[in-house]
Amino acid sequence: CSEYQKALKSEDTGVKYTMAEQLYNEGKYSKANRLFEQILPKYVGKPQGERVMYMYADAAYQVNDYYLAAYQFERFANSYPKSSKAQEAAYLSAKATYLTSPKFSLDQTETYDALNKLQNYINKYPNSEYLQETNQLVQDLTQKLEKKDLEIAKQYKKTFKYKSSIKSIENFLVDYPGSELKEEALFVKLEATYELAVNSFEYLIKDRLEQAQEAYDDLIKYYPNTSFSDEATKIQESITEELSKRS
Amino acid sequence: QEIKKGNTYTIAGIEVVGLKSFNEQTVVTTTGLRIGQEITIPGEELADVEKKLWGYDLFNKIDIYAAEDEENPSQIYLQIRLTERPAVSQFKIVGIKERKQDEILKDIELKAGKKVTQSYIANTKNYLLNKYKKQGFANVKVNISTKPDTAQVNSVKMLINVDKGEKVKVSDINFIGNEQLSSKKLRSAMKNTKQKSFFRFWKKSKYIPEDYDTDLVSVVDKYKENGYRDARILSDTVIYNDDNTLTLNLNVEEGDKYYFGDINFVGNTVYSDETLHKVLGINKGDTYNGVLLKERIADVTDPDADDITNLYQNSGYLFSTVNPVEISAKNDTIDFEIRIIEGKPAYFDRIMVSGNDRTNDHVIYRELRTRPGDLYQKTNVVRTVRELSQLGFFDPEQISPEIKNANPNAGTVDVEYKVVEKGSSQVQLQGGYGGGGFIGTLGLSFANFSLRNILNKEAYKPLPMGDGQSLSLRLQASKYYQTYSFSFSEPWFGGKEPRQFSVSFNHTQQYRYNYYTQDVDKSQRFLISGVSVGLSKRLKVPDDYFYFSQALSFQHYNLKNYNSYLFTFGDGYSNSLAYTIGLSRKSSGPNPIFPMTGSDFSVSAKLSLPYSLFDGRDYSALAEERDELADSTDDNDVDRVSEIDQMRFDWLEFYKVKFSGYWYTNLIDKLVLKSGGEFGFLGSYNSDRGVIPFERFFVGGDGMANYTLDGRENVQLRGYQNQSLSTSSTDEGSVIYNKFSLELRYPITLKQQASIYGLTFLEGGAAFNNFRDFNPFQLKRSAGVGLRIFMPAFGLLGIDFGYGFDSVDGTNQPSGWQTHFVIGQQF
Repeated sequence: CSEYQKALKSEDTGVKYTMAEQLYNEGKYSKANRLFEQILPKYVGKPQGERVMYMYADAAYQVNDYYLAAYQFERFANSYPKSSKAQEAAYLSAKATYLTSPKFSLDQTETYDALNKLQNYINKYPNSEYLQETNQLVQDLTQKLEKKDLEIAKQYKKTFKYKSSIKSIENFLVDYPGSELKEEALFVKLEATYELAVNSFEYLIKDRLEQAQEAYDDLIKYYPNTSFSDEATKIQESITEELSKRS
Repeated sequence: QEIKKGNTYTIAGIEVVGLKSFNEQTVVTTTGLRIGQEITIPGEELADVEKKLWGYDLFNKIDIYAAEDEENPSQIYLQIRLTERPAVSQFKIVGIKERKQDEILKDIELKAGKKVTQSYIANTKNYLLNKYKKQGFANVKVNISTKPDTAQVNSVKMLINVDKGEKVKVSDINFIGNEQLSSKKLRSAMKNTKQKSFFRFWKKSKYIPEDYDTDLVSVVDKYKENGYRDARILSDTVIYNDDNTLTLNLNVEEGDKYYFGDINFVGNTVYSDETLHKVLGINKGDTYNGVLLKERIADVTDPDADDITNLYQNSGYLFSTVNPVEISAKNDTIDFEIRIIEGKPAYFDRIMVSGNDRTNDHVIYRELRTRPGDLYQKTNVVRTVRELSQLGFFDPEQISPEIKNANPNAGTVDVEYKVVEKGSSQVQLQGGYGGGGFIGTLGLSFANFSLRNILNKEAYKPLPMGDGQSLSLRLQASKYYQTYSFSFSEPWFGGKEPRQFSVSFNHTQQYRYNYYTQDVDKSQRFLISGVSVGLSKRLKVPDDYFYFSQALSFQHYNLKNYNSYLFTFGDGYSNSLAYTIGLSRKSSGPNPIFPMTGSDFSVSAKLSLPYSLFDGRDYSALAEERDELADSTDDNDVDRVSEIDQMRFDWLEFYKVKFSGYWYTNLIDKLVLKSGGEFGFLGSYNSDRGVIPFERFFVGGDGMANYTLDGRENVQLRGYQNQSLSTSSTDEGSVIYNKFSLELRYPITLKQQASIYGLTFLEGGAAFNNFRDFNPFQLKRSAGVGLRIFMPAFGLLGIDFGYGFDSVDGTNQPSGWQTHFVIGQQF
């Protein structure tokens, strides 16, 4: 029976505390966490509680248990708002939540959660030392949401649902006016409007080609040197050609 | 000393008084106040402290006092006065059976250490009173008392005394003043409150005030259904009798009987009066029926009803309102005006999906029938939910569409589909004795696989999932055979349209096995290797429930010194190259495990090339020669027969046609009737070459597809032993069969962890060895009952007990009772 096992089974909170702190300092975080988990309730409200809760949260963070870390850091920041570690804990809680955010194509509950926490952090500590990192994290998450919406719009186009693709792009442009993906979004819109036009009943084609021309003009207005210029020009040429047949 | 409001002070000391079980230091730490800290009085800091302390739910009273230091007016002393809530040290419940107590304790959240407040006691008392009143104990009394526990600090003992009293039953329900409708009719309208009767021994005639109130409304509704628009209950009295029963006296006033007069529609531009009248289905002169009128306008009990509201809802008019207004009542005739505000048609704006923790967006979005910019149609929302369930990745009972942000001005609406992922992978690990030895099976099937992530280490959580592909692997081995199979399918090949691509490989090797000595002879073997590729596509015409499928399959059989009923030649080979074409329509649903409505049809043909047309052999001569030699025992003749058979079966020549159709009809509540039938025929292009011994039908028993060498199809016919209808006279199986069945199903539970349903069936089927004998009405009949359990991790498990009324060939006894186990085969 190792000392660690003894500490786990011990009734003496002090023994557990000493052991847990030692393990934590040695970097044996998962072992330490099992002890912290046991003793934390006993220290709530006591002077050592602050240390215990911080170490518990940090150890969880170190072993990549970000859900637990986010929760414990947040709890720490709320319980000890005057602690010297409060700001760091608030940041780490937000960052741990950031790390739980899944890839763009899955449910984004954690992403919204992290954005919320990061925004609260920025509001609370406008001069924080982590400000730059925080802004970077916010940007990463926003880009993820942008990518999600753009990919859905692209899928509508791929599955021949051009109107839905156009509508989704329009919503995208309203939701993320400054997006880095705006250039691609405008190009997708051009493709979708063009495909919609040429696949329409004859009496609708002319109107819809004109809308495609507008989509092209939009793309060129915002991105004169667009990386999609080859394909865009090709589409524009066939718009002109099709339109000339119908004028 | 006077505290000056709005001043800032430094805290010189903090004192906590009134504590019994807590440590003073602990409370001070919790407040977050420190000596030397500057605070404003009154100010945020102290308000926060109070809020925090209240938040712990530990104190009955919290006061904070501040006193200025007389010598140093910029310093203050704080005193926090607390009254701790007592905790329950012991508790006891009297008057309730021991085994019911745990559940109650859980509901009222009572355990040692619970802090007691007046509101907790009052709530608990009300909870218990309601609970027992609902069970028919109209006279229940609850008393909760506490007294200090002297053995422990700040604790109380709690005693909960429940006196349920006798259950009160309803002995009589009397109606006074009813002339047009009989008392019996009115009593039957009261769905929940019934009078005691000899015939109601399995149901209680409880008196539950809430239910009674709804029943009073039902009585009035009953009158409304029969034209008595003005009917009302003047008074109702509840009389307690000595024998713990109640008499209910209802005094009704019926009023006159009314009839519908003119019904006019106002405000309708989308639908003509004629169309609306047809949907309404109420004519001038009909007996007035307020309930029916309401139902025809908007049936709240059935969201899919054919009523006027749904007529509008299904064509985009989400914001429409339909209101019937009585415009005149002359004598006994009431004229109505149905006022319709159509509003703008609504279009979908944003379509969202949430809860997909595993399945990628693109797998879900491609299935959605509501897309941005589409006209709002309720039927499309309903169908989307049904089709999402059918994917098998989400819990069908938990898919909920939420219509959001309806904006009547812009004419837009959003919808969010909330899904809950469920386990869609199955592992089958089996060992057992069968066919004379130990058989081990390892089967893995992943229904939501992601092939593109197979090399991505990050994606293994624990397996690459989420792209909606399915992958399965199966290994089976025994002493004398091994079989391996692998299959993969992608439902949206290319990602543009629902076109399923599938590919599968299999390989089997079998050695000669002696059932008596249990020896395996490895010098005699039989190898089968096969590959097949298929493509199936959802059609748009005649409607988009149709699927069209094609497949190409190749199978190679290789024999070495292995004689069997299949082949008269022991050394040789055989190839089967076939093209399958099928058309099916699948609209059953919404839950694929327990479909309630819809139907499934399929028709298919499997064809080989007509080799006999161009291989230059004279099969009629060969057939004649074979007939002559068939009964000979001379070695040379036997060899010649083998030679001829090798020529007949070097490339298998056949065609096979199958049809099946099943309907699901929801009869009442969740009772579902599955009815239908199937038919199959295996034929040859060249009668001299003969029908191949492969691909045959084996009718009877559980219909489970077991390990087979020869592409046989097992057809379920319960009440008969496995394959007994096709093997009694010959080993070869049948070339033609048909089957009809009726099955009634009722679900016991449809939870995600396990879906369970019971069933009872009547079926009949028959199998024949050639088309000439075929008689679709000469059926072997059976009936029985069964149970199915579906658990996501195990698939389907089931048992059926069937009684076969007819005898199988070769016996003259009825088949009798048979037990069938169903494993893994779905639906």
